[in-house]
Amino acid sequence: MSAPVLQVKNLTKSFKGVVALNDVSFEVRRHEVVGLIGENGAGKSTLLKILSGIYQPDSGEILRNGKKIVFRTVKESAAAGIGMVHQEQSLVTSVTVAENILLGAEGDAVVGGIYNWKVLNRKAQKQLDKIGSPISPTAGVEDLTFAQRQMVELAKALGVEEYTADEPVIVLDEPSSVLEGDELEVLFAQIDRLRQIASVVFVSHRLDEVLRVSDRVYILKDGVCVAERNPETADTDELHRLMVGRESSAEFYREGDQKSVVGADVLLKVDGLSRQKAFSDVSFDVRKGEVVGIAGVLGSGREELTRVLFGAEGCDSGTILLDGTSVRFSSPVGAVAAGFGYIPAERRIEGIAQSMSVQENIFLADSRPVSVGPFMMVNKARQVADEWISRLRIRTPSRNTNINNLSGGNQQKVVLAKWLNSPRLKVLILDHPTRGLDVGAKEDVYTFIRALCDQGIGIVLLADTLEETIALSHSIIVMRDGEIQRRFDAAPGQKPLPVDLVEQMV
Amino acid sequence: MTQTLLTSSPRVIEQIDWKGRAVSILPLAVLVVLVLIVTSQQPNFVGIASVRGLLESMAPILLLALGQMFVILTGGIDLSFAVTASFGTVLLALWIPELGALGVLAMLATTTLIGLINGFVIAKAQIPSFIATLGALGLYSGLGLAISGASTIRISTGYEAIGWITDLRVAQLPLSALLVIVVAIVISVAMRVLASGKSFHAIGLAEKALLMSGGSTVRIRILAFTLCGLFSGLAGVMLAASQRSGGPTLADSLQLPAIAAVVIGGTAITGGVGGAIKTLIGALIIVMLRVGLSAVGVDPSFEQIVYGVVIIAAVVLTIDRSRIGVVK
Repeated sequence: MSAPVLQVKNLTKSFKGVVALNDVSFEVRRHEVVGLIGENGAGKSTLLKILSGIYQPDSGEILRNGKKIVFRTVKESAAAGIGMVHQEQSLVTSVTVAENILLGAEGDAVVGGIYNWKVLNRKAQKQLDKIGSPISPTAGVEDLTFAQRQMVELAKALGVEEYTADEPVIVLDEPSSVLEGDELEVLFAQIDRLRQIASVVFVSHRLDEVLRVSDRVYILKDGVCVAERNPETADTDELHRLMVGRESSAEFYREGDQKSVVGADVLLKVDGLSRQKAFSDVSFDVRKGEVVGIAGVLGSGREELTRVLFGAEGCDSGTILLDGTSVRFSSPVGAVAAGFGYIPAERRIEGIAQSMSVQENIFLADSRPVSVGPFMMVNKARQVADEWISRLRIRTPSRNTNINNLSGGNQQKVVLAKWLNSPRLKVLILDHPTRGLDVGAKEDVYTFIRALCDQGIGIVLLADTLEETIALSHSIIVMRDGEIQRRFDAAPGQKPLPVDLVEQMV
Repeated sequence: MTQTLLTSSPRVIEQIDWKGRAVSILPLAVLVVLVLIVTSQQPNFVGIASVRGLLESMAPILLLALGQMFVILTGGIDLSFAVTASFGTVLLALWIPELGALGVLAMLATTTLIGLINGFVIAKAQIPSFIATLGALGLYSGLGLAISGASTIRISTGYEAIGWITDLRVAQLPLSALLVIVVAIVISVAMRVLASGKSFHAIGLAEKALLMSGGSTVRIRILAFTLCGLFSGLAGVMLAASQRSGGPTLADSLQLPAIAAVVIGGTAITGGVGGAIKTLIGALIIVMLRVGLSAVGVDPSFEQIVYGVVIIAAVVLTIDRSRIGVVK
C-alpha cells in the first residue's frame, strides 16, 4: 500500500499559552473522503490554517505522499496540491467567475498585464467542467446564489491541480452550513465526483452529513484528536458524545431549570409585523420568563425580524406592544431606552467594543446604575464591574483589561453583563449567543438564559442549531420565506424533534 | 443569579503590551528631549520671557488641536477647522466695532454652527468626514475672502472686548494661555468622570457595538464636529486679539501644526485612543519644535515641511495596524 496522500503527524500549536492543537495526527488516503468534526474551539480552524500555510505549527510535521513538506505561505500549500474551500466565501464579487477561478494563477491568460479573455475563460471552463458545473465563466459572481458561489470556490480550489503532478487534496471547511435541501444534494454529489479525481477533507459540525459522505471520521475535542470512527458502524449519538464529552443533552442545555410560563403576563406582543422583502404578517407573544425560539433557514426572515424588533431596521406595518404600550423604534437608541437588549451574532463587531476595557464594555449600554446625573461614580463603577466579573465568572486579569485579550466565551459574558447591568432590561434578543464559544462557555450561557427567565425577562432566541433552539425554548416559531409556518410548544418532556422543525423550515 | 453556577475552565491571558506602553510615553519623552536640546543651545530659554512667548504661540494651536481631537477620536477628521478659525477672525473684525463683546459671542456661535452643519451632513448623510470638510474648507475660505475683500481688516474700535486676552497676566504669564491649559485639563477630567465621557472613543473604536448598545452615534459625531467648530472660533478670537486684526487666511498656517499636535501627542488617527492631556503635550512639542528649529538656525519658512514630516512620522509610529484591515 502506498503512503497516504496527506499525513499530519503530532501537530502542536499554541497561541499565547493556550493550546489550540495538541499532538494531532491523521491521514488522508487516495480517493478518500475524510470527515473532521469537532465543536467550535476544538481546533479545526487552526488545523486548516496550518494546512493552508497561514499558521506554522510549533512542532510536528506534514507529509505529502510520504515526503515531509513545510508550508510557509498559502502559495506553497497550493503548490503542494492542497486546495481550500473556505467557510466564509472568499470570492471577489464584483468580477466574473473566470477571474475568480484564476485569481493569482492566471499564467498565460495575462499578457503584458492585460487579460486574454479567451484564454482566461477557456481555463476557467476547464476547471468548471471538472465538477460538471453549468455556471458560465463569464457570469458575474454577484449574480450567483450562495450555493453557486460555493461551486465556483470548488472549481477554484481544484485549480491547485495545475501546480502538481499528483491528484489534489481538497479541504472543504463547513461547506454545508448555509446550504439546504437540493443545494445540499448537489454538494454531496459533487463530493462523490471529487472522490474520483482527488482526496477530500470534509470539515463540519453536522454529524449526519459527515457520516453520510465520509469514508472515515476523525473527532477533535479541545485540540486533541480523540477518536477515529468508521461511519458504517458509528452513529450520530456516539459522535456527539465523543465530540462534546457528555452523555445527556438535557443536562447540557439545563432543561431541568426550565420553568413553566403558563399564566405569566405577556411582555411583548408582536402583531402583524411586516417588512418588505423580509417578512410579512408576523405575530407572536413573549411572556415574562419565556424563551421564544425562532427557527428558520437563511432567507426565512428571522434575522430581519429581530433587527426590526431592536430598531436597527424599520418595518412597514404591524404593531409591537411592550408591556401593553405600543412602541416603534427608528434606531436602537429608542429600543434600548424602552427595555430591549440585543446580543448580536457578530460579537467582535457589534457585541464588544474592541480595544476598550472590560469595565467600559459593561457600562456601554447603561451607566446610570453607577452614575449621579451625568457623573460616573468611579468607585461604585469599579465595584459593580468587579461584581459582574465574579458573578459571571468572567476570566479576566482585571476590570481594566482590554477586552480583545479575553477568550470568545468571556467576551460574550461581558456582553451579557452589559445588558444584565441595565435595570430597564425587559426583553433580550439573543442572536446566535453561543456562536464560536467553546463547550464550557456554552453551558455558562445556557445557565444565564435560565437565570434571566427566573427574573422575568423575556427572551427571543435565534440559536446556532436546532437542538439548541428546541432545548432552550418554551415555545418555538418556525419561519419560512418571511412567514410564520408553525408554532410548537416546547415544555420540558414535550419538546418537538429536530425533524419536526425541519419539515416546516424547507 | 447571585451565586456562581458556572463551569468554565480558567483561560486567563494577560500579556503586557510593551510596545503600546513605550509608544504611550514617547510623546512626553520627546518633549523632555526637545526642552533639553533647546536649553543647551539657549541657556536663557528657561527665563520667564521665553516661557511667555512659548505659551502665547501655543494657545491658538492647542485650541485648534483640542477641537480637532474630538473629531479624530471618533475616527474622522475636520479639514475645515483652520479655515473656520480664519473665517471667524474676519467676522470678528467686521462685527466687533458695532457689537463689542456681543460680536465675539456672535462669531463663536457662527463657527459652532459651521461645526454643527459639518457634523450633521457627515453623520446624517453618512459621507466621509474627509471629503465633507474638504468641501467646507473651500466654502468657508471662499466666504472669508469674499466678505473681507481678500484683505486683512484691522480691529481698532471695540478691541477692548478681546484686548484682555493679550493684556491680562498672572505671574507675568498670559492668563488666556493658562486658561486654555485649564480647558484641556477640564476636558481630560470630564472624559474620565462623565458617564458619557468615553463616547467619542467608543465611536472611534467600535461604532457598531455602541450603536447596538443603544448609544446615539449620530448625536455624538455631530457633537464632535460642533465642538471642533467652537474651538476653532475660540482660536480665532485669540489670533484676532494677538494680531489686532482679522484676516481670511490668518489661521490657515496653523492647520498642519494643530493636526500634528493631536497625532504627535498620541491620539490615534484611526480614532478611539487619545485625550486632552495628550493633545496638550502634543501642542507643547510642536511649539518647542518651532523654538528648537529657530534655535538651531532653521529658516521659519521650513516649518511647514517639518510639521508635514512630523504628522506622517507620528502616525507611522503609533498606528495600530492590527485594527486596520486594508489601507485605503
